[in-house]
Amino acid sequence: MSNLRYVGHAELRSVDGRARVTGEAQYVCDMTLPGMLYAKVLRSPLPHARILTLDLAPALALPGVVAAITHADFVEHGNFGWPVKDDYVLAYQKVRYQGEAIAVVAAETEAAAEAGVAAIRLELAALPVVGDMQAALDENAPRIPPASVKTDGNLGETIILRYGDPEPLLAAAPVVMETSYDLRHQEHAYLETEGALALPEPDGGVTLFANNQSPFINRDIVASVLGLPPQQVRSIQPHIGGTFGGKDDVLYESSAQVAKLALLTGRPVRLIFTRAESMLASYKRQALRVHLRLGSDERGNLQAAQVKMLADSGAYASMTPMAAWRATMHAAGAYRYQAVHVDTQVIYTNNGYSGAFRGFGNTQAAAAVEMAIDELAERLHRDPLEFRLQNCLRQGDRTMTGNLVKHEVGLPACLEWVRDKSGWQQKRARYAAQPADAPRRRGIGVACYFHGCGLGGEGTDFAVSTLKIERDYSITLTSGLTDFGQGSRTVFTLLAAEELGVELARVQMLRPDTRTAIDSGPTVASRASIVGGNAVRVTATKLGQRLRLAAADLCACAPAQIIRAGEQYIGPREEPHSFEEVVDHARALGLQLTAEGRWEIPAVEWDLETGTGKPYFAYVFGAQVAEVEFNSRTGRTKVTGLWAAHDGGTILYPQGAYGQLYGGIAQGVGYALMEGYLFKDGVPQRTDLRSYRVPRAIDLPEIEGTFIETRLNEGPYGAKNLAEPVMVGTAPAIANALFQATGERVRRLPIPPQPRP
Amino acid sequence: MELNFILNGQPLTLTNVDAETTLLQLLRERLGLTGAKRGCDNGVCGACSVLLDGRLVKACRTSLAQVAGHAVTTIEGLRGPDGDLSDLQAAFLEYGAVQCGFCTPGMVIAAEALLRRNPHPTRAEIRRGIAGNICRCTGYQQIVDAIEAAAAQRLAQEERENE
Repeated sequence: MSNLRYVGHAELRSVDGRARVTGEAQYVCDMTLPGMLYAKVLRSPLPHARILTLDLAPALALPGVVAAITHADFVEHGNFGWPVKDDYVLAYQKVRYQGEAIAVVAAETEAAAEAGVAAIRLELAALPVVGDMQAALDENAPRIPPASVKTDGNLGETIILRYGDPEPLLAAAPVVMETSYDLRHQEHAYLETEGALALPEPDGGVTLFANNQSPFINRDIVASVLGLPPQQVRSIQPHIGGTFGGKDDVLYESSAQVAKLALLTGRPVRLIFTRAESMLASYKRQALRVHLRLGSDERGNLQAAQVKMLADSGAYASMTPMAAWRATMHAAGAYRYQAVHVDTQVIYTNNGYSGAFRGFGNTQAAAAVEMAIDELAERLHRDPLEFRLQNCLRQGDRTMTGNLVKHEVGLPACLEWVRDKSGWQQKRARYAAQPADAPRRRGIGVACYFHGCGLGGEGTDFAVSTLKIERDYSITLTSGLTDFGQGSRTVFTLLAAEELGVELARVQMLRPDTRTAIDSGPTVASRASIVGGNAVRVTATKLGQRLRLAAADLCACAPAQIIRAGEQYIGPREEPHSFEEVVDHARALGLQLTAEGRWEIPAVEWDLETGTGKPYFAYVFGAQVAEVEFNSRTGRTKVTGLWAAHDGGTILYPQGAYGQLYGGIAQGVGYALMEGYLFKDGVPQRTDLRSYRVPRAIDLPEIEGTFIETRLNEGPYGAKNLAEPVMVGTAPAIANALFQATGERVRRLPIPPQPRP
Repeated sequence: MELNFILNGQPLTLTNVDAETTLLQLLRERLGLTGAKRGCDNGVCGACSVLLDGRLVKACRTSLAQVAGHAVTTIEGLRGPDGDLSDLQAAFLEYGAVQCGFCTPGMVIAAEALLRRNPHPTRAEIRRGIAGNICRCTGYQQIVDAIEAAAAQRLAQEERENE
């Protein structure tokens, strides 16, 4: 590794942080244009209702109101959605969750737009609300999804996993742990709310500035509901204030709405959500109810697992079927089993709607199984960390889906690191000896995880990148995968510079723009580093080969004889040629100084009918230990220590990787103890950041983290991924620590403050 | 109404100001200073933090009556002695304290207010000092690192000057 100039260097800094510390970075909400109109949305006050009357005339009669739209302004009523086309850009016939967008008004000022929204005549006929997954499956429950979507009532789909037959093993196992866990909704709470700005173009098309994660998908959806060819919709990403999976579907709706208003009025139109709107109308991390049966022999060797899960999709499918698929593939955890069955039902309810959120189903699945493993270790009178070391995956083992793991597995090393750094054995023993009536009781707990790399069987997993050497010898980089704070601009830039052997400052990555970059599918699943990174590397290799040819021609030698010193090219006669000279010569030779490269993840396949196959080509691993203090007077739990080790392969950009690690853990602390987006009969209970508390600096301890570096041959320089899975271990580690502190097992996340004993 | 105050060191007179607007609206909508962000609507996120006579306030909860005759410093007015980045801004970059950046202007302002009040904070005091500011990306650790480093640097600078 030491011959690498950038990859893995601790000194690397973000290539684009400067505008963000000066306040100059422009987010959508900071952008205004001459003649711009302000948009406001009429939202459903009810979780489930039929629309009887929707009359825009009173709004349009108001001063300052310029235009207003409904579903009728879109092709096929604005029907969209992937993988399930069950959603509407604006509600059509029915509303299915409280806060669903019904109409949008564009006006000269925000106040006029608000007045317009208030003037719209809306009559709703309330329908029975389905607020519970079990109740949704009742045959008499009112159907939620539109008739055009093929479902079995409110059962969206069933996902199965079949590896061997766990039944005889569980029947014969001397120890079987059977438990259920209730994992509630979580709000992304990105600090920047949703925003979209549309600009009408003279050719009848539209340009969008929107803070969505995946501009190509946004372009395609907006084009389809507007009836435009995709080329006439241009989607540009400005700076984005956090996403964590949360800025897709909700932004497709907003983008289509402002685009339509811009086309109708011929003026720019901007829509920015208030915080209350953002919390009400955006999709959440889906709630999961998980029932587990884990069997072990007397010596604590895991035998078999059987898992049943219900996933609350809410009013629309969004990404919940995919997240439920990922949850299914991870439901029994990072352990060796002889047989595993998982059955997951994806269910429509009127609880808002749910979609992608960091960890994408595995956050919930791992929380459940890691609590269950702890309960099983307790039953066997085993130390929970040693129990995990005994059963966890190692290189050459088969996963819970029956697939051989051929690559290196850093999981045992992660467990050992968190054990040793946290002082596990001493603390575990000390806290076990606390008096049961102590007012403050401490506990220490562990969890470990695995997480499949890339989209896996969720979709075609590729990325495209381009590089171009400019007249001033700078290098322009594009990628179809984007950066919304997670550091992929820095990663892509350093990979291009590393491969081309040039200074970092030469490489300029363009802002994501569907007109300059090439479609690479969604920026999700922490796949930017591996898939996007490999695409950059492939592209840079192509371009580098041409420069090497030019250098060889200059030096009158074979390309293989050229060596590099800094940016210079040196031939056998040891005369150095600068990068500029080589570029000039390449140009004179007529070599193409632009390159395009594509990389696709090695093939995986999953048979949905039989529940068998290979879901992922590789996995990352990790372990976390949490230490808590429980105050029996207040019933509150404080996290007093966190140790985290993650096997993400080669770490490309260490400072950024640590930022992801700490940030993921903070979201895990919130998921464990604080957040909980609660519905009561479909009505959200917390729609501001005062009642929905996310962790602040005082809610977190100092975190001690590390990366156990293994090597994944397919990854760029051996890298795997990290942004999502690093949050997966936190919540169960905290829950397990709390169990040691109190002796009471709370089978629910977030864990509410505990009543006084 | 007419409003007189000092903004980033410059005296400013504005006429036809709606007395109902908040300082945040005035900064963002009238003056085009968009560094202070709107992250919530009830003063809980800290993204709109500015200094009012050197004290930390939330611009979304600050009325123009509170501003009249006083000095407001926003992120746009925070610069080092050489006109480039302030020590805190540079430390935020150096220590990886910036991810999406939406909280960053408010966070830098909160840190500035803290160091003016308490030049030698412990890490726990730093955490309390930025407790009014939400960051959803970083887990705060590198932000605390950055503030700690900037404080140490200011201390070293002071000692050099006192020699």
